[in-house]
Amino acid sequence: MKLGLTRACFGCRPICYTTSLPSSTLNKPQIPIFLRPPAYSATSLDLRKWHEWAKGLAVSVGSSFADADNGPDTNLLCRELNWLLQDSLEDPKHDIRQSNESLMLRTSLDDLYHLWKQRIEQRRPFQYIVGCEHWRDLVLSVQEGVLIPRPETELIVDMAFDEISKNESLGQGLWADMGTGSGALAIGIGRTLGTRGRVIATDLSPVAVSVTTYNVSRYGLQDVIEVKQGSWFEPLKGFEGKFAGIVSNPPYIPSEHIPKLQAEVGRHEPTLALDGGVGGMDYLIHLCSGAATMLRGGGFFMFETNGEEQCKLIIDFMKNELAGRFCNLNAVPDFSDIQRFVTGVRR
Amino acid sequence: MALAAHFNLILLRLRLQLRNSYYRSPYVSSVNSPFNLSKITIINATRIRRLQLGCYYCVSNSHSYTSSSSSSSSHLDAKSYLQLSDGELMKQCEMSTFKASGPGGQHRNKRESAVRLKHLPTGVIAQAVEDRSQHKNRASALRRLRTLLALKVRNPVDVDAYSPPLELLQILPLKSTVRGAESGPQIGPNNPKFVLGMQALIDLIFAVEGSISEAAKILGLSTGALSRLILSDDSLRMAVNDLRASKDLKPLK
Ligand SMILES: C[S@@+](CC[C@H](N)C(=O)[O-])C[C@H]1O[C@@H](n2cnc3c(N)ncnc32)[C@H](O)[C@@H]1O
Repeated sequence: MKLGLTRACFGCRPICYTTSLPSSTLNKPQIPIFLRPPAYSATSLDLRKWHEWAKGLAVSVGSSFADADNGPDTNLLCRELNWLLQDSLEDPKHDIRQSNESLMLRTSLDDLYHLWKQRIEQRRPFQYIVGCEHWRDLVLSVQEGVLIPRPETELIVDMAFDEISKNESLGQGLWADMGTGSGALAIGIGRTLGTRGRVIATDLSPVAVSVTTYNVSRYGLQDVIEVKQGSWFEPLKGFEGKFAGIVSNPPYIPSEHIPKLQAEVGRHEPTLALDGGVGGMDYLIHLCSGAATMLRGGGFFMFETNGEEQCKLIIDFMKNELAGRFCNLNAVPDFSDIQRFVTGVRR
Repeated sequence: MALAAHFNLILLRLRLQLRNSYYRSPYVSSVNSPFNLSKITIINATRIRRLQLGCYYCVSNSHSYTSSSSSSSSHLDAKSYLQLSDGELMKQCEMSTFKASGPGGQHRNKRESAVRLKHLPTGVIAQAVEDRSQHKNRASALRRLRTLLALKVRNPVDVDAYSPPLELLQILPLKSTVRGAESGPQIGPNNPKFVLGMQALIDLIFAVEGSISEAAKILGLSTGALSRLILSDDSLRMAVNDLRASKDLKPLK
């Protein structure tokens, strides 16, 4: 495959798959509720009834989920319930406490009952229910099969932005988001790059590739971000030494933790996106070695990790096994003060 | 702090934005690498003086906080804070979130995106919790911070040589006799510029010891007209009433 990452090439071939995909209808991305047409009518009285019922379910949860596996409590569920209502209403600001009028919904009232039941009884993640996640200033489409982007990961975009503002050439260069999931990092970074900057977003999962492609086009970044399917660096053959930046939030949960995860995560999010092997470091180590090959001199990498221990191990690995290849190796804490990211610069 | 009822509040040491800010010294010490935020110590607490009742901060210059009587020239006064861009104001803040228990990251699906901003030069704290993304909460906390700075941080006013600044004239009703046509149409509480005028108004009321009639005279308004202006905005009304309470005056209603 030709590698010309120019606007012209992106324009004529917005998406280049390394592996050919099954027919695109198989992986047709789902449309988040808030983007669907308001095609269902209901009365505010019926909606209030649903809301009362749903609130009752949320109240009955109390702190039981929180106690069992650190899941959501009544407060959080009530907040989610209001968000679900907002996303479903034609006018999100509409006050359903008004008398009894007829209004338009983006999903049927039956569906609303069904969806909230799934939320409570099956612990289906709220974001899969509404089909989107608010992340930074973006609203990203998500669905089963794709990891819901986490708030911690937002910091990677901030850090990339900081690096780019210190060193403009990084912003005009080529970036990679490895294991892009919903495309969160690729899109966040793609929006901060200069006119000549480009991102390649890769993922092994066909659902992730299709959801990312959808999100990229929603933000009009088809000319900036190329989405490729394949395992880690395999779709990037030929780009050795070309990258100005590589970011990744690879699966890093130790396999031994997988059975005990919060139900929303363990039962519903793809294992492919979470399980980092015994100790959780399988992919991180692979990415470190790959970064040594793929980054150009002065190129920057940022990886998310499970915490302090993994950060230390990675920095040790890079200092010993990849001695002389990187400088400025650092562990960076997240908002909760957990050492969450490793960053460094290719010599 | 009701918001935090279900979370442990933890202070994130300084956020990334602080890296390049001028608070690195003298407030922040030992930043040994661009991303190593763990070793940062914050601010000399004695520099922040909190006056309990009504919580007023008087600013005389960028580094020390004293009561208004001893204040003199101000090169970075309270008004200047409000004129900073969001990015610049953010650089003066310490940001913290409500700590999640457990390892966080991929382990966890929980939408607590509360943000708490502490404005280091003044100690004013603003938080926001209701939005779906942390990013947006940061923006609304910043908006709230601007209002709080206007309400709580006092600029010294010399009553004898006073002439109302433009941003104050702009929020006055048109019938004010000190307000010229060049001040343009009256700016209402929903306009972001209202905050600046509100701050100047409270400065004046503070300087005249809470007397509405005296402030009204200076602003070329009847006492009733100035009261109506104060009552038109909840936070302004509360700030003025707090101030009056601290002077044993009865509240405006
Ligand atoms: C933790 S998720 C991160 C998703 C996204 N970057 C984010 O931060 O929200 C890890 C991603 O790596 C992808 N992945 C897993 N194994 C992979 C492989 N061998 N090659 C490429 N991507 C892989 C998963 O499909 C998943 O999308």
